[in-house]
Amino acid sequence: MHGRPKVLIVDDEPDVLLTMRMILEAEGFDPALAADGETALRRIDDEQPDIVLLDIMMPVLDGWFVLAELAGRPRRPRVIVCSAKSSDVDKTRAFDLGADEYVTKPYEPDDLVARIRETLSRGARRPARL
Amino acid sequence: MAAATRTDIRERIEHEARVAGMRRYNRPSIEAVERRRLQLWGVTITVIVAMAIATAIASLSRGNEVSWLQPGVLRLAVIGLALGFSAYAIEKEIHLHRLSRLLMDERVLSSALSNRLQQHALLTAAGRAVNSVLDLHEVLDLILSSTLDLLSVETGSVMLLESEDDDELVAVAARGNNDVALGARVQLGQSIAGRVARTREPLLLSGKVDDELFPGHQTRVPSPHSAMCVPLVNRGQLLGVINVSSFGERTFDENDLQLLCVFGEQVAAAITNARLYEAERVHVAQLLELDRTKSQFVASVSHELRTPLTSIRGALSASRRARDDQRGELLDVIDRQTSRLSAMVEEMLTAARLERKGTMPMLRRIDVAALVRLVALDSQVAGRPVEVQAPQKCEIRADPESMRRIVGNLIENAHKYGAPPVRVVVEPMGEKVLLSVLDTGSGVPPAEREKIFERFYRSERTATSRPGIGLGLPIVRGLVEACGGSVWVEDAPGGGAAFRVALRVRPMDEQEVEPCTAGLRS
Repeated sequence: MHGRPKVLIVDDEPDVLLTMRMILEAEGFDPALAADGETALRRIDDEQPDIVLLDIMMPVLDGWFVLAELAGRPRRPRVIVCSAKSSDVDKTRAFDLGADEYVTKPYEPDDLVARIRETLSRGARRPARL
Repeated sequence: MAAATRTDIRERIEHEARVAGMRRYNRPSIEAVERRRLQLWGVTITVIVAMAIATAIASLSRGNEVSWLQPGVLRLAVIGLALGFSAYAIEKEIHLHRLSRLLMDERVLSSALSNRLQQHALLTAAGRAVNSVLDLHEVLDLILSSTLDLLSVETGSVMLLESEDDDELVAVAARGNNDVALGARVQLGQSIAGRVARTREPLLLSGKVDDELFPGHQTRVPSPHSAMCVPLVNRGQLLGVINVSSFGERTFDENDLQLLCVFGEQVAAAITNARLYEAERVHVAQLLELDRTKSQFVASVSHELRTPLTSIRGALSASRRARDDQRGELLDVIDRQTSRLSAMVEEMLTAARLERKGTMPMLRRIDVAALVRLVALDSQVAGRPVEVQAPQKCEIRADPESMRRIVGNLIENAHKYGAPPVRVVVEPMGEKVLLSVLDTGSGVPPAEREKIFERFYRSERTATSRPGIGLGLPIVRGLVEACGGSVWVEDAPGGGAAFRVALRVRPMDEQEVEPCTAGLRS
């Protein structure tokens, strides 16, 4: 990995985008933003981020759609799902679709940053169980 | 009574058997008695013939010395003996004849009793079967089939009142080709079923029915040979009637009517139980639905609380790393998100207040047109543009704070679930004022038009993609109704949803006149 790791923050809440962008920038990452699933997929194609922070409940295309879409690709970024949905059913579904981590909102930003670093330092990514 | 008669007959049979000389039989059969009668006749005839021959022989033999063997004396003795034996034989014959008749009576009675026992066994079995089922439709089918089996006929129906105060019987089960159709209705007092229901007196009919006696009765073709109708009453409450008709040889009698009445009493309790069970089942389904919506509400609320908290935590964490010029922006985030949390808490409190119905709105004279323009302005500032079409002035009597919430929630709803442009139209219509909020989104499907006003309801189409806790529209409905109005949703002309609020223009009290913006502290 050369230079600053690219992080795509996907969330329909503008204030989450704003604050996470500031934090990640300060922590030495290169953040990019998307407010819905469609923009997220486009920016993943265009900018090939190292990691995606993905919200689930979003307009246009939701996080499940993005995960399913990424699961079918040979090369894809690591994904940390950041959602207010906290049930085990949702967590299992996310991991089955190939998510690397699942963080429940409201998360502690420092903790999220630590998880981003830990995920990026892992070896080969897990294949999705489709 | 039948049992007493039977014992009496048994005693008399024993007595007659003793007198008739049939003591060795514990219970003589009719055949044995008949045999004994034949024997008796045979012996009697033989004895009389023998006596006659003896008399003749005695008359022919002459010259006997012994005076008592003289022919005259001998004849008299033989005739005396013959008469004595005949008297004995006649006496026996009388008793044997009585015994034979008593045995015949007993046989008839036994057979009738055995028939009755069989009917009662059927009745008990049917009653038990009917009472062992709880599904109302099954109970009704079972009642009808058991009734028809019990009475050995093929045509009948069960008619019930839909509720205690109803004045119409509805056929809920019917069998046979010539009886009332399923779903047929009969007014109380009309026709045979209606009359039985009204008087609660069972009826037994034979031959042609007199139409004058039963107004509204329609003569069936072919008409039944015999028919019965009994009321179904449980604990003094009339439930309906059972009808049975016979088109064949079978003519119903008093016993059949009594049997049907007893059966009717048994099944009335079963119908009540099945109805209670049905009501309970519906109640449980409602409770489960309530439980489901409450769980959904908890999930929605927790989601809606987590989202602003995430932003606030993010802003606090970012402010530790931020440059001085970035801090103002982060404070704005915290301000926006805490306002959002307060608004949500306020919404929940309003919903709880409306549910308790403890708060009466402060009804005042307000200019709803001016109020709508003000709310639209607020909305515009908050980034939700609205077009307003309203007359210069339009006064109604309503609670200004409630009206502000109503219009505000509807505009927010149109932006959240519909699509811009959003229009608010105020139209005075005589005694009413119609306030409409129209959007150009995909509209609300007819199946959801009532549900969206229920607390915590979240449409499956939008639950995952739009934030919300399912209280905005229920609050609108609660507030509108508290002001004496009504609210509904329909298709907007040209597509999208049209939320309509109809408010009454109440008689104005000049004492209460206040500026239209009273209470509007935005």
